[in-house]
Amino acid sequence: MRRLTHSAQQVNLERRKVCLHVGALAAAFTVAPTHAANPANSRRIVSVGGALTEIVFALQANADLVGVDTTSLYPESAQKLPSVGYARSLSAEGVLALAPTQVIVTEDAGPPAVLRQLSASGIPVTVLAANHRFEGLNERIERIGELTGRVAQANAIQQTLQQDWVRVRAQVAQHTTKPVRVLFVLAHTPNQIMVAGADTSAQAMLDYVGANNAINGFSGYKPLTPEAVIAARPDIVLLTDQGLKATGGVDGILKLPGLEQTPAGRSRRVISLEAMFLLGFGPRLPAAVSALDTAIGKVMRV
Amino acid sequence: MNALVLKLPPYLQIKRVRPATLLVAALLLGVAVAIQGGAVSVTGSDWLSILGLGEQQGGAGGAYVLWNIRLPRVFFAVLVGASMGLAGALTQGLFRNPLADPGLLGVSAGAACAAALTIVVFSGLNLPMPISWRVWLLPAAAFGGALGVCFTLDRIARWITPGSIAGLLLTGVALNALAAAVIGLCTYLATDEQLRSLSFWTLGSLAGGNWALVALLAALLLFAWWRVRQLVRAMNALALGESAAAHVGVDVRHLRSHIIVLVAVLAGFSVAWCGMIGFVGLIAAHLVRTWVGADQRQVVPMSMLTGGLLLLVADTFARTIAIPAEIPVGIFTALLGSPFFLFLLRGARGRIG
Amino acid sequence: MLMKTSMETDLMRLDCVGISLGASSFGPFSLQVVPGERVAILGPSGAGKSTLLKLMSREWKPASGQVFFKGQTLTTWNLSDLSRHRAVLPQSSDVAFGLQTDLVVGLGRVARAHDPQLPDIVEACATLAHATHLLGRRFDTLSGGEQARVQLARVFAQLWDAHDGLILVDEPLAALDPGLQFDLLDSLDTYASTRNHALVAILHDINQAMLGFDRLLLVKDGKLVDDLPCSQQAVPALESLYSISLSCVTDIQGSLVITPMRKAVRRLSAAGAIA
Repeated sequence: MRRLTHSAQQVNLERRKVCLHVGALAAAFTVAPTHAANPANSRRIVSVGGALTEIVFALQANADLVGVDTTSLYPESAQKLPSVGYARSLSAEGVLALAPTQVIVTEDAGPPAVLRQLSASGIPVTVLAANHRFEGLNERIERIGELTGRVAQANAIQQTLQQDWVRVRAQVAQHTTKPVRVLFVLAHTPNQIMVAGADTSAQAMLDYVGANNAINGFSGYKPLTPEAVIAARPDIVLLTDQGLKATGGVDGILKLPGLEQTPAGRSRRVISLEAMFLLGFGPRLPAAVSALDTAIGKVMRV
Repeated sequence: MNALVLKLPPYLQIKRVRPATLLVAALLLGVAVAIQGGAVSVTGSDWLSILGLGEQQGGAGGAYVLWNIRLPRVFFAVLVGASMGLAGALTQGLFRNPLADPGLLGVSAGAACAAALTIVVFSGLNLPMPISWRVWLLPAAAFGGALGVCFTLDRIARWITPGSIAGLLLTGVALNALAAAVIGLCTYLATDEQLRSLSFWTLGSLAGGNWALVALLAALLLFAWWRVRQLVRAMNALALGESAAAHVGVDVRHLRSHIIVLVAVLAGFSVAWCGMIGFVGLIAAHLVRTWVGADQRQVVPMSMLTGGLLLLVADTFARTIAIPAEIPVGIFTALLGSPFFLFLLRGARGRIG
Repeated sequence: MLMKTSMETDLMRLDCVGISLGASSFGPFSLQVVPGERVAILGPSGAGKSTLLKLMSREWKPASGQVFFKGQTLTTWNLSDLSRHRAVLPQSSDVAFGLQTDLVVGLGRVARAHDPQLPDIVEACATLAHATHLLGRRFDTLSGGEQARVQLARVFAQLWDAHDGLILVDEPLAALDPGLQFDLLDSLDTYASTRNHALVAILHDINQAMLGFDRLLLVKDGKLVDDLPCSQQAVPALESLYSISLSCVTDIQGSLVITPMRKAVRRLSAAGAIA
């Protein structure tokens, strides 16, 4: 809690300068020597959204980062940065206290009043959506490259990603077997399972991997009754690592009503990947698609 | 006004101090402390700057934050808390029940319901509307929902058992259930983006405070206070029971509809601008009654002061404990209200009855 | 002509007043009360005594007929004006929240916008009702009898500066000890006499009725079966009202004492009253 008493006053401006110098010094030690912090245009970036933070790190602009949100967990060093809290309930003063020059947020961020207050204070707030598409990812990288002054790095990354992407898509296209039916489980209550329908990030990943969503007929995340689960006949159940752990592992999942009677349940075909990796649509997207593809292949062969 | 001696340990005894004076002092102290606290450090030169003296700062420095974000927020918290406290006192007086609450009437639920419908139904319609109106659309809808619930409540309650307050309570329960079902349906039908809007609104936060809102709310509160002053004596008579109150010359129906409208206006406005923040009205009015007795002429103004203080303290904790993040303020209203209430109960053991 | 004159001097008049509550119908009630009168309403349980009183107090609106108070239809009276002429002492004295006793007494005068003498009046009324020692206490800390005294004081305060008013009393004394009952009725009588208020009370004790009241209204099965002055001649009517045999004796002071017969016969005895 930063609270200045009258007896310990320091001019805000001087304090900021000191912080910047210390920060630059620290950056020089933590970041690879090939990149030097640019003291003339010191950027201070607050990034809200795990995928966006990943992109910032990928562009090696993480020295400029002064604050991230609670979903920014990758890479590990991101977790050491000051947290501005949950993306949906940001604090205006909290963000302003970090004295950012740029705030980059996902479309999830809010409350809208806080974003308005931040813009009104003269700080550029940029909202970047991914639209669950590779093209969206590209746009994000380009935009963040501009905002962080790393346009060259951005282009480089885009090229690498493009190559990876083409390779992964080719790998997926090689499959000759019938598309599998996958059910993505988000959360659960004792009676119902919350699953992903169309227009979700999970659906997009399944499309990329050439699998079918076992559910069709609705969009968004909705609860399913046990009967509907059985009628869906999924071959595989897909979750995030966090979701799987919360449910008590594969055994726990298969105890959920309806799942046991499905083909996935009978053969115990349950896959999980880390949440931000799987659904973040960050720079690890090609790797994620590849990992998902491999996992599906592995589980179907057994 | 009675001057009371609190049953506190000897070293804390405050003799012969009017409770209202004590509360005003506490509130002023609270405001002073709250202004000091926050993520951004604020210095004396910032104060000079906003008062027009000293050097003017540009950008989003301490002075900017002080004037545009912190001060409005502090005053906003006090005013919202005061209106919740007033609404709570009015509701408890109306129902003759120390546990009554605008939430019970279904006001908050009605406001939430209207907001949910607006988000899910209207935003899908893509009606042409100037941007400035859009900002006011949601709170206006919530406000309208609260009023609508209150009028419906009053109408239905008259058909059921005219003049009966128990009937009102039961009708409120039914309307609460209806509103909750509609909100649930909206949640189910909402797209991802609409769901996001819905969840902002239900998280309950005072972050949206700005000077315009402060001015609006201050005017509203003044008007409500002026109106209530004319009603407090009659409200005391309600304690005798509806029929006895009528016998001593109080127009119970008239009084009841007045109180309901006031409660709807106050609670609806708070819910509209801040989302769902619970407990303040309930705890404030109950605490005040435990402390100074049940005379509405004292309970009402002191509930306003207590409500303001309570929400101010809660919000200050909410925005300073996890800097630079912010915790939803509703958690703190519950965490602060309950233990304090237990403490006061202990001190006034013999009087609760 | 004679009727018209008596209409104008009536304090309260009921003209074939009836009401239906659920399956039961009450009425038609037709009666007059003149200023200063003492009227006792007697009858078995569920007969409609409370209903009659509620029709008189405007708590319930009659489905048929009209109630006149001081020459004007009761429903056209302004509530606060009415409260200055008519007071009701309720059966149960439930006061929410535990208000201070002096506040409760003062509530009798709440309809008055400007009331500079309120503290004095409260004091005087409490004295009359023998409740002075209760002022300053919380209402819910009082015993049943003490609460009844405070409610009485409230009624006193309500009609303090009125004359020729009406006090309606709905069985408030039922649960009190005999000493307290007489005490309160006595206070009520003194108060009403000095201001010429009429008193209409529902009672269960026949002797109380005989002692302090001028007139008896006998209500049975939702109808007003009899309207007679208090005297020994009323005993047969009382017997048929309660379907019980009564014996009358005159005590040492010359007052009439009526008690049910020892081996009470549940049907009317053809022999009539026993002297």
